Amino acid sequence: MNPFIKVCGLTYSYDDEAVVKKHAVINNVSFEINEGDFVAVLGHNGSGKSTLAKLLNMILVPDSGEIYVNGKNICDDSMTDEDILEIRKSIGMVFQNPDNQLVATIVEDDVAFGPENLGIPSEEIRARVDNALKDVGMSEFAHHEPHRLSGGQKQRVAIAGIIAMMPRCIIFDESTAMLDPVGRKEVMNSIIRLNKEKGITVIMITHYMEEAARADRIIVMNDGSIILDGVPSYIFENESLLKECGLSVPQCTELVHRLREHGICLDKAGVSIEECADMILKHITEDK
Amino acid sequence: MSKLVLENVSFYHGRGTPYEIKALDNINIGIPAGKITGLIGHTGSGKSTLVQMFNGLLEPHEGRVLLDGVDIWSQPKKIRDVRFKVGLVMQYPEYQLFEETVFKDIAFGPLNMGVPESEIEERVLEAADFVGFERELLYKSPFDLSGGQKRRAAIAGIIAMRPEILVLDEPAAGLDPRGREAIFTNILNYQRANGNTVVIVSHSMEDMARLCDNIIVMSAGEILMSGDKDEVFTQSERLTSVGLDVPQITQLMNLLKIKGVECPDGIYTVEMAFEYLKNKLR
Repeated sequence: MNPFIKVCGLTYSYDDEAVVKKHAVINNVSFEINEGDFVAVLGHNGSGKSTLAKLLNMILVPDSGEIYVNGKNICDDSMTDEDILEIRKSIGMVFQNPDNQLVATIVEDDVAFGPENLGIPSEEIRARVDNALKDVGMSEFAHHEPHRLSGGQKQRVAIAGIIAMMPRCIIFDESTAMLDPVGRKEVMNSIIRLNKEKGITVIMITHYMEEAARADRIIVMNDGSIILDGVPSYIFENESLLKECGLSVPQCTELVHRLREHGICLDKAGVSIEECADMILKHITEDK
Repeated sequence: MSKLVLENVSFYHGRGTPYEIKALDNINIGIPAGKITGLIGHTGSGKSTLVQMFNGLLEPHEGRVLLDGVDIWSQPKKIRDVRFKVGLVMQYPEYQLFEETVFKDIAFGPLNMGVPESEIEERVLEAADFVGFERELLYKSPFDLSGGQKRRAAIAGIIAMRPEILVLDEPAAGLDPRGREAIFTNILNYQRANGNTVVIVSHSMEDMARLCDNIIVMSAGEILMSGDKDEVFTQSERLTSVGLDVPQITQLMNLLKIKGVECPDGIYTVEMAFEYLKNKLR
């Protein structure tokens, strides 16, 4: 099977006249993402995460290297405007600030904005909007005014607007950063459901380690390069490397690491509250 | 002793219109002097309205706000002085940077207060030290700084006014763990060095548990809980019922308790959990 996204030797620098030597924001990055994957991207502020997301969606064009989406080289000069539209249709993006992403005065009009622009027949738009709102649990708010919703609700409307365009992949660029704990939970649950039930490929950029722990795979970026790539339990084993890169590990993983350093035998570091609790429990019962 | 006291304070958005909403409902709280107080509550619970009461950006419709025992609205013309005494760092303060250099931006507040030119440099350098800025950064444009640095420059601008109370609304939102750590270390150093009163608004229970002495919990425009952080974080159920969380480590301890492991209440940092479990698992 061909990977859905394949990136080879990707390099990108922002034009900065003040700097004589170009500083690469993305430096020779290669990876593959399969259809249906749920990948979190971690990295400090300025490590190149958002730039990478914008490259995948052709908002930015790389200096060198190739990006294949569904087998097609999107960096090829022969790409037509229609081809680019096709890429943007298949890879949707949800950004950080929900207030900057909503355009209409009624929730369902906002969700319809994307498919309308794609020239979808109106009957089908109706069905897509209803389904998209259902997918994020916002059906009952279809006739509400977006600006009166909570942050988490607004963000779910923004996600519905992307789903209505039926992308195969959605990139979330710190989509929970501005939300309160309930809003974050609502949005995280929607993201996980889209991935597990609809099979939508998810690339989720975040600063919250506990959120990244819920992905199937984590890519860690540092100064424009990938330094770690693997399942969460493997990534969070590397606590000191993560800390050197300005990151951390979830609190319960940190606890297990400290207990292990103290000579208490726990088989591995869990990444979720449940895993860590089970491990501690197992240790207690085996001791008796 | 309370530095700032709110007495029966109520406030309405859109007062006198058909859309009138009661944003603050009969608030009675004291902000203890020389301590770090955390203010938590879900979006729309009234936190931001409340902090705008602290420095007189909003005037209560009912009740009084007392700073060192004096009603800040007793002389409305002097309200500007209150804003210098109670420094408010708003959300995403980096959007408010505007000067040519970081130095000038930090100097803007004290200059506006009427601090003599001769004293400005001292104040700017002192504030820059608190946020860990190297000298050469002060002569850069604030727009050439990284996200975390911009945030710290904006906080330094308030510190340079030497406020008696420093209020920060979500100071670490959107920053990576290292950036969060740096901001919070700066705030702690500032508070310890001068014994200042600090109020922090945040959604991160982990950070609040680590930093604060006291916690105030708001819900639907009212004070739901207020007290020592031990008292507040032991009440997990009440916190979750109003859309808040307890720190992840507390959730872990609660889960262990449900699974039959004997655990004390009031564990809310990794350090505390480690100290308890290292003996238990031995």
